[in-house]
Amino acid sequence: MPVRLQQILLTKQKARLTAGLLLILALPAAAAQQPAKASEKEKPADQPATYVGTETCQGCHEDVVKAFQKNPHQSVEISEKRGWKGKSCESCHGPGSKHAESASAADIFNPAKAAPGEVDRSCLKCHQNQPTHIGRIQGGHGRSQVSCAACHSIHKNGPTGLVARKPAAANKQCAGCHTSVWAQFQKPHKHPLAEGAMSCVDCHNPHGSFLPKMMQTAGGNQSGCFKCHGDKRGPFIYEHAVVKMEGCATCHEPHGSANPKMLTRHEVSVQCLECHANIAQPSGANPGGTVGGIPPAFHNLQSARYRNCTTCHIKVHGSNVSRTLLR
Amino acid sequence: MKLFLTAFVGATLLAQQAATPPAAPQQPAPKTEEKQPEEKKEEAAPAAEQWLGGSVEFGYRWLTDVAGNFNAYRSVVNLGEGPKLLNADFTIRNSTHKVFDRMNVLLHGWGGDPYNTARVDVSREKSYRLTADYRNMAYFNFLPSYANPLLSSGVLMNQHSFDTARRYVDLQLDLLPGARITPYLGYTRNSGSGSGLTDFVMDQNEYPVRNFLGDKTDEFRGGVRLEFDRFHVTLEQGGQTFKDDQHATNSQFTYGNRLTTVLGKTQSLTALDQIYGIRGDGIYSKVLATASPASWVNLSGQFLYSRLNTNSRYADNAAGQFVILSALQLFTGQRDTFAALAKQPHTSGSAGIELKPLRRLRLLESWTTDRFHNASSVALAELVLLTPSSMTNGATLGLGAADRLIYNYNQQQVDVLFDVTRKFTLRGGHRYVWGDAQYTPPVLSYVEGLQATELRRHAGLAGAYFRPTSKLSFTTDFEAASGDRTYFRTSLQDYTKMTARARYQVHTALQMSASFSLLDNQNPSPTVNYDFRSRANSLSLYWTPAGGKWIGVLGEYTRSTLRSDITYLVPQTLTRTRSFYRDNAHSATSLVDFNLPEMNGAKPKISVGGSFYLSSGTRPTDYYEPTGRFSIPLHKLVAWFAEWRYYGLAETFYAYEGFRTHLFTMGLKIGQ
Repeated sequence: MPVRLQQILLTKQKARLTAGLLLILALPAAAAQQPAKASEKEKPADQPATYVGTETCQGCHEDVVKAFQKNPHQSVEISEKRGWKGKSCESCHGPGSKHAESASAADIFNPAKAAPGEVDRSCLKCHQNQPTHIGRIQGGHGRSQVSCAACHSIHKNGPTGLVARKPAAANKQCAGCHTSVWAQFQKPHKHPLAEGAMSCVDCHNPHGSFLPKMMQTAGGNQSGCFKCHGDKRGPFIYEHAVVKMEGCATCHEPHGSANPKMLTRHEVSVQCLECHANIAQPSGANPGGTVGGIPPAFHNLQSARYRNCTTCHIKVHGSNVSRTLLR
Repeated sequence: MKLFLTAFVGATLLAQQAATPPAAPQQPAPKTEEKQPEEKKEEAAPAAEQWLGGSVEFGYRWLTDVAGNFNAYRSVVNLGEGPKLLNADFTIRNSTHKVFDRMNVLLHGWGGDPYNTARVDVSREKSYRLTADYRNMAYFNFLPSYANPLLSSGVLMNQHSFDTARRYVDLQLDLLPGARITPYLGYTRNSGSGSGLTDFVMDQNEYPVRNFLGDKTDEFRGGVRLEFDRFHVTLEQGGQTFKDDQHATNSQFTYGNRLTTVLGKTQSLTALDQIYGIRGDGIYSKVLATASPASWVNLSGQFLYSRLNTNSRYADNAAGQFVILSALQLFTGQRDTFAALAKQPHTSGSAGIELKPLRRLRLLESWTTDRFHNASSVALAELVLLTPSSMTNGATLGLGAADRLIYNYNQQQVDVLFDVTRKFTLRGGHRYVWGDAQYTPPVLSYVEGLQATELRRHAGLAGAYFRPTSKLSFTTDFEAASGDRTYFRTSLQDYTKMTARARYQVHTALQMSASFSLLDNQNPSPTVNYDFRSRANSLSLYWTPAGGKWIGVLGEYTRSTLRSDITYLVPQTLTRTRSFYRDNAHSATSLVDFNLPEMNGAKPKISVGGSFYLSSGTRPTDYYEPTGRFSIPLHKLVAWFAEWRYYGLAETFYAYEGFRTHLFTMGLKIGQ
């Protein structure tokens, strides 16, 4: 990223301005779309299509309708709950009378060719009010135009749903877009995803989460890491503040690392000293102050004993006995 | 295990013989739009209903002698020899629908492998759905380069080694699935046990001692989901219990890490019994709600509250030759007793609104807060020093103080998405993150009371999505932020984040994608002077001519660089120095499948591929995992396979941790 561009944007005023400008640009353009829509409606050829029912669809798409009987969405066809009984095809593809008359693909809504927002709108007609989507607005996939159909194969039959469930298959699906993340799992020290023992969705909620990086939660509102690493959760009598305030990724590369213990640095002392740097103690009067204590002078780094802080500070994630995390 | 394998395979074989032959196996080809008609054709003629379907894969694995460091091999790979149930995946359908309609069972890595997993999913339509998830993960870690103060003297012993296993069990029972009102119950157990080495730390020395670990968390939960057309509410209540019983022990004379004398005496440990008895419990409440009061507005919100408590009991009894330097006191024994409590009420909430005022315009507004207050108090902190006859209370040594950590985090974000055309969407937004924290200052800071710190950061957001044709798409996200308060020296402050992705379906059989990501973070404060930049460029290719009938190729390549530079003061001299870390890496994965002409009702298959990671920089590392597999059908539903894998790790600066080995596996795959 050019430094100049970064400098331009790196002030809060400029950031607000960027958002404001985009909004200003977007609104007139959106408004301009409205008359066109209205005029289109006036054309007799654009009279609204009507629902014709699944039986009509079956006339041409018998194979699809037949196969759909084992699809989890078949419940839409037979259940009164969603109000689409007997019209499951049209629940996603929209009213099909025009398409039934013309047999033209242009006369039916095809999610595979629609904009992501339109696809989501179609799916969320039914799925919006489900707990799965509680973090959708905060999540990155929705904002980045990753539609439901990018991961879910709606026509595909499967005993447990429309999306990859086995860890290896789920990982493959995520890696299809997140290639560089998958590359991190090829490092020697990593979580066992490539081995098929874990999947991306063990830690991340692809539908969104209120936590950063779409992290899953554990135990109500704890970070998803503690689902498996329960011994690091606490509360500890003496907390290591960074674990709770910024999370495990401050010191660990959660996907994979060339360093033991998936650390972000090659040596433990360097890992610790970057925060415990002997500089700028935090204070309300010192805006530049950061959290991190001072290692005393007797920590002579020329001595091998002090080159690995965790040799003595064993309970580095938090201690139930020692304020200096020694036991 | 062998008996289990025999019985399991036998049952599967019998079941397969009784069943109608299923459809031809699908090629593991990437999902493409052009492939959909083929899928539809397969769907058009589904296999006749069979009560059991699936596959099981088992065999025997041989491991050649590991060249290099066997402990490093176990820490990184840890695959062993012997009979293995490699994979099993089957579905039982109950045509009577009496107890269940369908049961799915998924097993992976059984027979002594480091990762055993099992998943069972049983359901009966409109009655219940029960899922059980079990994982047993071996955690062996013995890497001399980590936390070994004796490394420079040539002693390759890690003083923090583990030979443990973590087990995770999760059960979830949903009643009346698909109904408007769905009650559910759940139970999760997460436990770890095993042994290893740790240090017993005294004032002027530390001693490697045997360590036994055992922790367990049980979580119970129950709730109800209310799902209606216009709104949904989920109410959940849960509770947890926790225990951690660590026990370190030593019964032999050891000098520890310090061989020089202190006050004329050489420090040593002759006996130790160190016992932790940590108990905890907690409750949590969860309320989730979504609503769609009108077609142009969606609302969502959640409120989460948890309250965790920890009750700490600790005791140690040590004998040897010790010293407390600050008191100039030599002693030959110690008894330490400690009891304390910690409480952590933790509240989180979020709310979001999605407005669609115009057909092409969407507004997303969200607000999040996360706040907790960790407070601990010490009931007893007693340290008794033995011989010469004296007794010192821990409080006089600065032990036993209470601790606080108060944390409040808030985030507000607005995004505007505008569909310029059906093929082009723009996004712009703003995020404001702010918060504050108070904490007990470090012991050596000599500051009274709680210290406070703040977080404040504004970020501008932008993005674009462009799909000129159904075969080509571009996505990009951009974020630039400016912070004037940050919690930690390496936290995000003035940063630029960008990702870009492109996908292009060159041909029915060829799909390519490329991605780029960047994170540039600066903290220009003269006391920090942090400069961080990471970049990754990836290219992937999927080639499946004729739908992968004869050959399928998958290839991914990533080039990544990372550069971190920050200053700190060396503790003993207070001179300024730099922590400079860099990593320039190439990594790739590939898999090429060759399908040979049909024999015995199925196609023999050869697969070759694997992955590598090659890096230079601060910790140069070469890690190779090539693999090859040959599969010959013996019957329509039975295939014999042979698999070869190689693992090789080489580190330039830590050559003693390198290893290389070959693994050979032969076995049968039964089923489709």
